[in-house]
Amino acid sequence: MAAYTKSLVVIAAVLVVFAGVPSAQAPATPQRIISLIPSVTEMLFAIGAGPRVVGVGSFDRYPPEVLTRTKVGGLIDPDIERIISLKPDLMVVYATQTDLRTQMDRAHIPIYLYQHSGLPDITTTIRAVGKRVGNERAAEELARQIEDDIAATRRRVAGRPRPRTLLVFGRDPETLRGIYASGGIGFLHDMLEAAGATNVFADVKGQSIQATSEVILARAPDVILEIGIDTASSPGRNLRAWDSLASVPAVRMHRIYQVRGDEMMNPGPRVARAIQRMAEALHPQVSDK
Amino acid sequence: MSIRQRIALTWLGFGAGAIAVCLGAPLVGSTSIDFSRVFDTSIPFADNIDAQIFFVARLPRVMAGAMVGSALAASGVIFQALLRNALATPFTLGVSAGAALGAILALTFDLPSGIAGFSAVPIASFAGALGAVAIVYALARARRQGLSTNVLLLAGVTLNSFFSALIIFVQFLADQTQTFRTVRWLMGDLDVSSYAPMIAAIPPIALSFAAFAVLPRSLNLLSISDESAASRGVDVHRTQRLAFLSASLATGAAVSLGGPVGFIGIVVPHLVRLLVGADHRLVLPASALGGAAFLVACDTVSRTALSPLEIPVGVLTAIIGGPFFLWLLIRSR
Amino acid sequence: MAPDSVLSGLLADAVSFGYLPSQQVLHDVGATVHRGGLVGILGPNGSGKTTLLRLLAGLLTPQHGRVMLDGDDLRTLGRAAAARRMAVVPQETQLAFEYTVLEMAVMGRYPHLRGFEIEGPDDLAIAREALAATGTLHLESRLFNTLSGGEKQRVVIAGALAQFGGRERRQADITEVLLLDEPTASLDLAYQLEIRSILLQLNQQRKVTVVVSTHDLNLAAGLCRHLILLDRGRVLAAGPAEDMLKPALIQQLYGVDVDISVHARTGRLTVVPLARTGQPLHP
Repeated sequence: MAAYTKSLVVIAAVLVVFAGVPSAQAPATPQRIISLIPSVTEMLFAIGAGPRVVGVGSFDRYPPEVLTRTKVGGLIDPDIERIISLKPDLMVVYATQTDLRTQMDRAHIPIYLYQHSGLPDITTTIRAVGKRVGNERAAEELARQIEDDIAATRRRVAGRPRPRTLLVFGRDPETLRGIYASGGIGFLHDMLEAAGATNVFADVKGQSIQATSEVILARAPDVILEIGIDTASSPGRNLRAWDSLASVPAVRMHRIYQVRGDEMMNPGPRVARAIQRMAEALHPQVSDK
Repeated sequence: MSIRQRIALTWLGFGAGAIAVCLGAPLVGSTSIDFSRVFDTSIPFADNIDAQIFFVARLPRVMAGAMVGSALAASGVIFQALLRNALATPFTLGVSAGAALGAILALTFDLPSGIAGFSAVPIASFAGALGAVAIVYALARARRQGLSTNVLLLAGVTLNSFFSALIIFVQFLADQTQTFRTVRWLMGDLDVSSYAPMIAAIPPIALSFAAFAVLPRSLNLLSISDESAASRGVDVHRTQRLAFLSASLATGAAVSLGGPVGFIGIVVPHLVRLLVGADHRLVLPASALGGAAFLVACDTVSRTALSPLEIPVGVLTAIIGGPFFLWLLIRSR
Repeated sequence: MAPDSVLSGLLADAVSFGYLPSQQVLHDVGATVHRGGLVGILGPNGSGKTTLLRLLAGLLTPQHGRVMLDGDDLRTLGRAAAARRMAVVPQETQLAFEYTVLEMAVMGRYPHLRGFEIEGPDDLAIAREALAATGTLHLESRLFNTLSGGEKQRVVIAGALAQFGGRERRQADITEVLLLDEPTASLDLAYQLEIRSILLQLNQQRKVTVVVSTHDLNLAAGLCRHLILLDRGRVLAAGPAEDMLKPALIQQLYGVDVDISVHARTGRLTVVPLARTGQPLHP
């Protein structure tokens, strides 16, 4: 019986080891990491792997040290030559970048596939990335901290009335055209729910929906929350544009808020802070203390 | 039936159809509203959801659809006559590429309009359209006094390619969100949700339609050949100029209002010709009215079929237009 | 020539023209078409025939000289007025749209319509009568594009005819000119004969003045009473057809030796090309 159990254990261990291997030949600890994804770049720096990051995506901006790294493109236009010239031993890519993956395989560059959908995936990814680059403990701490912070926010808003909220992350400046709102799936939706609100489009089975004026009038949200509005040229979207939808409770009650900051749309380490800021906007009586 | 009777019948028939569609469209939507409340003036407007949906969400949208649809269909007729080609569209000569470039620049670089309450996108779009028209016009006039049809076509097609390349370049510079928004703009969007954009579009469209009113007889002659027109007393250069500029102006205004909605400028004139023949005195008004009805009908489907999601109206017109042309091709062989 | 003939008919007086400043096509050309005449402009390709025709029709403005219709300079006469007395028939007509035969004929009435006016029953009658004159009335509901080459040409001639005839009674003392550019060049033999006989008929019975530009010697010989020989933008000779159709002149114009004789059965002049000048008859 012991021999049988032992071989079972051996087989199980082998299976676990192989199941856990993400791709091609992986060195023990990657020393030259390139990340195309802004939130993963943030994670790498947050768990102490920053010094080993040699290349970042074109749109990565946080933390500030990122700006000193070489830019290698993004989702649509990764610069293969530049990537290979940096001699990375780990590439973090979007799971959908199949062409890039093929080319990395051909160049024998190990890759980590990034996929994200909901809020829990953020901490899962932090842990997985931490393990992959050899900073497991720091990653675990960071993930735990984030989970605690989010839980704390949930507690603070528990029991408070949950306003029906329209979470807008895109709008043509000065007008009500091209309004993009969070659907019922995805981390934005999860963030909203965690911050103590009900998504007015919770029934939409997608991450985003282009909301027309009729639909907004029909859904009549109590609160409108605008995020992702920071740009160099316009310090703030003109909120007066909403006045034409006068029957919407959020407009009548002047409960239209803008929460600035690029962490609001980034499923990265600062997500707990982002949720906290959403909660403060939705429930003004709740503060950080 | 005399031509007079046919003209009257055409105006009446297509007019009635357009009015019916435009009156019926605001009554239909993804939300069921109570019409007794819509017109109940005792309820303050700011509290009346049904009235708001009708007057803020639907009515402007129907009006925009009528304006864009009639402008694009009528311009299509003019361009087809000018270029002597039934396959010409309002977008053949580069106007819409110019408008698209303007809009995409405004969307990508978040350009401020400088006017409170007005988005830069339609303004930049219209400016782009005018720029494209000016370039094509200058090129086509460069060598001869009139507008050489061939040079017009070449200049327009070249400009289309050039501007499309610029658009791709700008998209390359943009981030994902901006790229998505520009792609979405290219599919057409009539949800104006206010009367201001339409009021701004009225002067150029009205001006164009005033020109359209005097063109049909000359277009009959011009569509045969320059010589046929000139030997029958038409001032060919002046007519070409008027046709080109007015149709381009209408197209530029329409695209700035609702985006480059495709197929209207070619499907509607074709269908109209099947019904009324080739005389432009019938085809032009019928297409304008038919275009309004067609686009409003498409937009109504657009905003109700997959509620709360929307099918971009340009996608819908393409879904109808593509098979229509296949059918045309099959039936004519 | 009668002393006042210059006041009735079409006259080109020392006209010069070039499409580009560097390229002169016509040099100091004079041409007289009497009212009721049947004139051919004859010459090889590139001699300026079509350009002269267009100048006579008022489609082009000469850089030097002037064109007069019944004593009025075309420049002062005005486009619309000229269109009621002169009509052009191009060599070929291709339509991008499906106009009917009647619509094509009715378009000839447009020079008579003011502003937003729509053609009335009188105009329709004139258009139909023009179709009848060219034997195409029975085709009136057909689409122009479905016709044969000869039928198309006849319909276009009818449309040109329809430009004549004011709402008032026909005035007897105006010149109505039909100008045709290579009218038979793209037609089959039978249609060529048809067109020829229609033009003769229009000229003799309806007193329409006909000007034809062509490089077809036998059409010129069989149709025209007067000829203008055009050689590289200059008038080589002009006068009655039988005086112009002489082997010496043809040789000078085309570089070809020809035999010209009166055909026994038709009584018309016929031109038989023999060989290029200087080449043997039987190679």
